[in-house]
Amino acid sequence: MTEQEVIDRLAPIFHDIFNPDVVVTEDLDATKVPEWDSLNHISLIVAIEGEFQCELITEEVAQIQNVGDLIKLLRVKTSKLTGFQEENP
Amino acid sequence: MPLSNYPYIKKVADFLFVKFPYFATVIDKRYEEFGEAWLAEFNEELKVFFGDDLPRLQSAVNGYGSFALDSMKLQKKFDKMREYIPKEYADVSHDVYLNRDYMFNLYLPGIMLSQYLWSHHYRQLHYFRHTFVEMLKERSADCFCDVGVGTGFYSKEMLRALPVIRGRGYDISPFSLEHTRIMIDKWQFLGRYEFCQADILLETPKDQADCLVCVEVLEHLDDPVSFLKALYVLLRPGGIGFITAAINGPNADHIYLYRGLGDLEREVASAGFEILQSVEYLGYIPKPGDSVPSSGVCIVRKRS
Repeated sequence: MTEQEVIDRLAPIFHDIFNPDVVVTEDLDATKVPEWDSLNHISLIVAIEGEFQCELITEEVAQIQNVGDLIKLLRVKTSKLTGFQEENP
Repeated sequence: MPLSNYPYIKKVADFLFVKFPYFATVIDKRYEEFGEAWLAEFNEELKVFFGDDLPRLQSAVNGYGSFALDSMKLQKKFDKMREYIPKEYADVSHDVYLNRDYMFNLYLPGIMLSQYLWSHHYRQLHYFRHTFVEMLKERSADCFCDVGVGTGFYSKEMLRALPVIRGRGYDISPFSLEHTRIMIDKWQFLGRYEFCQADILLETPKDQADCLVCVEVLEHLDDPVSFLKALYVLLRPGGIGFITAAINGPNADHIYLYRGLGDLEREVASAGFEILQSVEYLGYIPKPGDSVPSSGVCIVRKRS
């Protein structure tokens, strides 16, 4: 899955949980979105797990500092699910 | 918010902002809820326990962040099932209480900082200080026992509030007792406290105490009623106790589900205690349809 494909699947989730005007980019993080508090963060994680059909364990979630980190993690997770190695993850 | 006057809280806020920015608003929220007194108390707590050991404080904040993430993820799962994930006490004991890394890096710092950062935990603390302790001051209480000391936080509170009282702390986890020793030592109360690694269900101690504290232990047990009966034996006739439990609050080591304060009250009464007061504090205002963790508290008395 390419980075853009991941972003395209993340965008509706971000719009739904935070607000429709959020622009999902790699450097987006919780400091840039007023609605991104702890409750919405967990809603975000759960929604992403549902969308990408994978579990994000606490240790992994704790390492996510921005959307770029999230994209990298999801590309690894989804490549393991499909059995294909990602080129240039 | 005047954090310049509260440098230790400022450090916590800075660490949270870097590592867990979605948690960083928690300090603003608690300040709005509880005001300047909360800032002063929390800052003092951090100053005494951590002092100028910034790496240790940062490690504790990281532990809190992971602890909070874990709890909130489990809460989301609980929203769907309305049951705790089934687990055996023996497995939890192995994975949590006897796991030094988990206890010191996540569990104990998480619980300790949650006493101030989580609304329901702080309200419970406030109730303890301003209701239970005040009741104790009107009675003759030479000694207390704290069963399931965890971080040692409430033992410290007892020793702090009642300058002459002596205490005995029980826990099955050597790491909880190690953390409690650090806590009691930092506050300079070591001379009035004993540490006992024991499971009171396996062997109920013979020495009775004038009062007892048991904070958030019951939800960790397969059979809380038997445990409550052991607590009853530990308390001398006429003595009072402070017993709390998590309600609808999943965690890695929560086995027994209390769905409301009534569940807790029924079990406490079934063990023989007279309930003098009880109260429940919600963690936050939930979204419609979502569950919310809360703390159930009973101030009890053993009949004379």
